[in-house]
Amino acid sequence: MTPVRLLGIGAFLIGVFVLVPLFIRLSGRWDLYYTLTSVALLSVGAAGVWLTFYIGRINIGQGAYALLGGYVSAILVTQWGVSFWLTLPLAALTCSAVSVLIGLPILRLRGVYFAMVTLVLTEVARLTALALPITNGAKGITSIPLPGKLSIFGLTLIPDFATLENPKLAFYLMAAVLMVLTYLVLWRMVNSRLGHLCRSLQQNEELSASIGVNTAMLRVLAYAISSFFGGLAGAMFVAISQSIYPSSFAVSDSVNFMLYCFLGGLGYVFGPLLGTLLLYFGWDLLSVAKEYQLLIYSGAMIILMLVLPNGVLSLLDRKGGQK
Amino acid sequence: MTAPILEIKHVTKRYGGLTANNDVSFDVAPREILSVIGPNGAGKSTLFKQIAGFVNPTSGEVTFKGSRISGLPPHKVARLGVVRTFQETTIFKSMTVRENVIVAHHLRSRASLLGFFFGTRQAQSDEADFARSADDIIGFLGLDAIRDEMASNLPQGHLRALGMAIGLATQPEVILLDEPFAGMNHDETMRMVGLVRRLRDERGLTVLLVEHDMPAVMKISDRIVCINFGEKIAEGTPAEIQANPRVIEAYLGSEDAAIGV
Amino acid sequence: MEQIIANGLYLGAQYALIALGLTLIFSLMNVLNFAHGQMYVFGGFVTYTVVAQFKLPFVVGLLASAVVLAVMGALIEKFLFRPVIRKSKRDESTMLLAAGIAFFLDAVILLLFGEKQRGVPKIVNGVFNWDMRIIMPYDRILIGLLAIALIVAFILFMQYSRTGRAMRALAQDRVAAELMGVDVDRYSMIGFALGAMLAGLVGGLLVTITGVNLGMGGPTSIKAFLMIMIGGAGVISGAIAGGFILGMMESVGLTVLAAYGDVTYLAIFAALMIFLAIRPQGLMGKPWG
Repeated sequence: MTPVRLLGIGAFLIGVFVLVPLFIRLSGRWDLYYTLTSVALLSVGAAGVWLTFYIGRINIGQGAYALLGGYVSAILVTQWGVSFWLTLPLAALTCSAVSVLIGLPILRLRGVYFAMVTLVLTEVARLTALALPITNGAKGITSIPLPGKLSIFGLTLIPDFATLENPKLAFYLMAAVLMVLTYLVLWRMVNSRLGHLCRSLQQNEELSASIGVNTAMLRVLAYAISSFFGGLAGAMFVAISQSIYPSSFAVSDSVNFMLYCFLGGLGYVFGPLLGTLLLYFGWDLLSVAKEYQLLIYSGAMIILMLVLPNGVLSLLDRKGGQK
Repeated sequence: MTAPILEIKHVTKRYGGLTANNDVSFDVAPREILSVIGPNGAGKSTLFKQIAGFVNPTSGEVTFKGSRISGLPPHKVARLGVVRTFQETTIFKSMTVRENVIVAHHLRSRASLLGFFFGTRQAQSDEADFARSADDIIGFLGLDAIRDEMASNLPQGHLRALGMAIGLATQPEVILLDEPFAGMNHDETMRMVGLVRRLRDERGLTVLLVEHDMPAVMKISDRIVCINFGEKIAEGTPAEIQANPRVIEAYLGSEDAAIGV
Repeated sequence: MEQIIANGLYLGAQYALIALGLTLIFSLMNVLNFAHGQMYVFGGFVTYTVVAQFKLPFVVGLLASAVVLAVMGALIEKFLFRPVIRKSKRDESTMLLAAGIAFFLDAVILLLFGEKQRGVPKIVNGVFNWDMRIIMPYDRILIGLLAIALIVAFILFMQYSRTGRAMRALAQDRVAAELMGVDVDRYSMIGFALGAMLAGLVGGLLVTITGVNLGMGGPTSIKAFLMIMIGGAGVISGAIAGGFILGMMESVGLTVLAAYGDVTYLAIFAALMIFLAIRPQGLMGKPWG
């Protein structure tokens, strides 16, 4: 690892954990916490979508897993009284398990077909949530308690959120930690053998099989990890909003996850992070434009696509040549 | 004759009403260079795909060292030691030559994927092994000068050598070469003939190839199997094949290149 | 029973028309047009404006929808999709563009026509009643027949006109078509315009019955995706089959499953998933689209 890169990572961490809270304290813009928390969590979900892109599949179904993760956590917390901190990994693992079952048949599809099926999957998730008794239909699950205390061997790692005077900051820090961990895992994965194999899958599945890669298994594995991130993001969101409805994650969210990846750049691990920040923050900032918000936002997106069809991070390529 | 390493037994493949291969049988001895020839559309490629596990035979079987490999998925066939290269220049386009070869070492990893994720000692030693072996293969095939080129920027001839390098990285015992000389001029072909020989002589491989280029086939093969309309019509040494009236008929009856050296 | 079939045919005719446009664009340019539903809504609003605001006859409204959407489609292809396809490293980039256009059209519809549900007065009155076995308002029958007529016209156009043949050649093999002297750019543009026009026409037809509103775009796109997945993407016969099958399934589902609440679509989606697992290319598609 080069010193420049280490410095960059250090600066990023200081920015996220020190400068942002400092800036918000000084400027009094407490509302920014909510925006930034959302960005952090959405970028976790987007990281999953990016991974499916990395094996050469267009995934427009992350909303389904976010919704599933959210419901699993909400149901466990409200009906069984399980600690939120335990439901977080459980929700993510449930999503992985479900994605294996769904992925086995549908990952055989390629290109537009896979994209369309995953899009439909989001709609299936919403309709299922509407139809099942346990999810309480359209009324959803509300008044979910804030995350409680997390302690190991009597040592309090995370205090009870309800007792905090500033849960907004706590949620932000929590989401930021989750985001950093997600991208650490993703980065490590992409740069290890697993990532190389995923790349081989993206570029030529037949050749990949002929060099002995179990392509079916690898696809399902990548998809399961992707869904894990989706479930994580969903469960965390529910804890923040303390409620979940069938429409909490809809088709537009699935599409947005995909857009974040595209915009940041599909060839770069940190692409989805940047894409989420730009699009979500941009959308938020544009709220001053009132009724022209969507027009300007989508117009900007189209223009970006025309100028940089390979993502914002492809700017790096132009300057520094091949990575 | 030693026990055959690869046995093709009564392989038949039908697509709907179309019979691509009909009751094809032959053996391949260890360290042999055997060519499968035949006019266009005779079913050579289909036969290859069945040996490598990309297509399942309708009936009959292929065995490798006595155990059945037909019907297995390609990655399992490759794991056992039978690997194919592709007719088209199939490579990982947006990787460098060296990355292509390194990634193809997958079968040799002893560390698990999780091990690679955490960078265990085993994984590190694997990576070092792969890098060494990749450089070795690159040297063997004379690709040193272009090892850090993007594969998508390579000219045709190098692409085929790269395809072969990818195949070699899996450390196969049997390598299936799908038209390795197609589209090459005389000099390139002769260089490739030398290379294929060295695969056998220096690396101890058994080579099975499908080819159109008759002079090259005659020069390189220990034995030749000729297929026409999906059926085996002849098998023998190059000299025998050249003298076989059925082979001559098959080739005269088609628009393919005339047989002969 | 007869009622269910009649409803299914009526729905299916409109659906098939929407799917035809989508599949045409997909087959010509390998672009999944996310904005298809929005184009449909836009078409509906154009007809509404012409008929309800300008007090012109319905036929004029329908023609206006067709023209406006065709021009819009042509412009979108020429100035947006063509440059992005040329410059981008991966085919999927067009998806972002298509999604961006979908949002953009939503914004334009919001600014031009507002959020309200809009409809135009019935074009014919009265209800057809066959012995209480089939009950259907005359305007629905008329719209259904119009939709079928348009489908037939489209098929004839693709089969026998010079332009149609060129587009089919293009869809089959882009490179070969180019070698044969087909002006690829020109026919891509015409194809996109035609696809958009079909979406606009359906919007214009349906505004007389169900009306249109801003929120209908996305769900309509999803339904259209479903249809071309059932039939096989990029195949004209597949789009028609997919449209009628979905229409029929909806009609049957809404009747049979009504007792269980709104699970029709869930059942349709689940069936589709299983179907695609067995037959990934759809009913009539080529493998891997």
